[in-house]
Amino acid sequence: MASPIADLSYRSYDGPLLPPTMRWWVVAKSVMRLAIRKKGFWVWANLSYYWFIILAAVFYFVDVLAPTLPGGANPFFSRIVWKDQFLDAFSIAQMFLFIIALLIGAGAIANDNRSNALLVYLSKPCSKLDYLFGKWMAIFLILVAITGVPTLLFFVYGLLSYRHYGFISQDPALFWRLLVMIPVPAAFHASACLGISSLFNQGRMAGATYAGIYFLSLFFTKAMVVIQIIAMDGPRGDPSRVPSIVNTLFYASVDGLQIGLAKVILQTDGGHLLSGPGGPPVPPAPNGWLFTALYLLACGGFLAIAWQRVRAVEVVRG
Amino acid sequence: MGRVSVATTSNLTVKYGTFTALSDITLEIPEGCVGLLGPNGAGKTTLLKAFLGFLDPAAGSGTVLGLDIQASGREIRQRVGLMPEQDCHIPGMTAVGFVAFAGELAGMPSEQALRRAHEVLEYCGLGEARYRNVETYSTGMKQRIKLAQAIVHGPKLLLLDEPTNGLDPAGRVQMLDLIRSVTHGKGVNAIVSSHLLPDVERVCDHVLVLAGGKVRSSGLIKELKRLEGHPVDVELREASEEFARQVEAAGAKLLSAERSVYRIQMPGLPEETAAQVMRAAQAAGAQVRGFHVAERSLEEAFMEALGG
Repeated sequence: MASPIADLSYRSYDGPLLPPTMRWWVVAKSVMRLAIRKKGFWVWANLSYYWFIILAAVFYFVDVLAPTLPGGANPFFSRIVWKDQFLDAFSIAQMFLFIIALLIGAGAIANDNRSNALLVYLSKPCSKLDYLFGKWMAIFLILVAITGVPTLLFFVYGLLSYRHYGFISQDPALFWRLLVMIPVPAAFHASACLGISSLFNQGRMAGATYAGIYFLSLFFTKAMVVIQIIAMDGPRGDPSRVPSIVNTLFYASVDGLQIGLAKVILQTDGGHLLSGPGGPPVPPAPNGWLFTALYLLACGGFLAIAWQRVRAVEVVRG
Repeated sequence: MGRVSVATTSNLTVKYGTFTALSDITLEIPEGCVGLLGPNGAGKTTLLKAFLGFLDPAAGSGTVLGLDIQASGREIRQRVGLMPEQDCHIPGMTAVGFVAFAGELAGMPSEQALRRAHEVLEYCGLGEARYRNVETYSTGMKQRIKLAQAIVHGPKLLLLDEPTNGLDPAGRVQMLDLIRSVTHGKGVNAIVSSHLLPDVERVCDHVLVLAGGKVRSSGLIKELKRLEGHPVDVELREASEEFARQVEAAGAKLLSAERSVYRIQMPGLPEETAAQVMRAAQAAGAQVRGFHVAERSLEEAFMEALGG
């Protein structure tokens, strides 16, 4: 009888074991590995920065082809508020970030609930905190990369090409403001995904719930735009006639909360580069303290839900 | 030489709300393979969870591999492998990815975890299916991969909760053989929680019977099965009333007679009983086909422990 060429009997592992701490990074790596294997992730991630591409192309062609006034000043560039361009691209990317968050985060805990994966995680030297922080960090880091890479590349492009049009002198702290703005949606979506995901046993149900919240709140803010236009007597009317509560409620959505905070961080009300004066009204930046508090409350609330729902063992109440 | 304990509890009480799952338990689990027996709701799984440091005891204390269950949960879980009762896997992962990930969670460096994952999957009979998504596995394969993820990091103690759940007879035998080979002569101790007595008898040397959150009995299986007074079972070629009369005349007590098998109890050593039995058989003209020290089944011992 042929004998096996390898010894297949059980042998104990006597190699090194790392100290039983910091398991969150192992959890985060595994979530990120699974996320980047999805084709849809790459499609939406590449779509998320299309506005930066358009802006870069517009600036390049205007710089190369448009007439320049004597003295080297291009009238198009002279009007530009640079940080508004970052705000525009940030606002447009929000929908894509939300879709990516759904793709990678909706099932983060729900799918584990379905397959009892918590028993695997928590029977190893991995605490509930490691588990939740690892999951959160994975979603956060991916979204930060998707927001941050194009933003910082565009910043470098502006720095190298348009410094003489006030790219830096308009706001010397722009780089630091961008660094603060970039993680805002990532932290929010990571927290929301975990909180909502922990309530379900199916990733699809968690995704549908988050999508419901997202689109209902978006619909609400669109209604506020209509009210703004009516209050202004048309899109070219007087913005000061819009009641401040309507301007505040304009930000009462998942996207709005983040766009509002971005305006606070960048210290701008924003403006549209390509739509001109006939474009939709631009509500002023909201109250910074109020929105920071609301943002932290929302993130904290979602994380508290996740903390409550994730349990190492089922609890039988007598 | 006394046996070393792999786990101990001292007056341990665990409560879920107002429900007491374990009540004032004091026990020592020796090295080797120990069966944790008990009816459903006896507290077996709760005891395993307490050993892993998942539960805060309402009273008492416990140790696993010398580590305190309340203060050293992480350290315990690094040295212990759990094969849970329920199906569990991480969605979207292949078998080798899943087992390697379990190894990394336990603290293995990633390269070693991957190499070891291949090794244990081969060992558990999943070598051919290692690149398949775990979600596509059959029940038997899922049981095997639960064992693989539990042993990947080379634990010193395995906690196996109903390891043959949902398996067909052939799968059950294979799983029990796997467990037996890991836990005998490989330096791995195991606590096998089950309510299937034949499974426990096949792989364990020692049992602990729990019921209603209390320890009802514990000891070596062969000791639990031993009957008081060392009775013997004598099997004759055919039933013989004369044989029964002869052994009683020799001072033996006939405990039972079932077809041609007689259970006899005599004062003295089994060797002396054997000599008496042979003499009685000769006198009765009966042919002895079998002779062995009588023992009860594990089921009988279990029922007695439960007071049934």
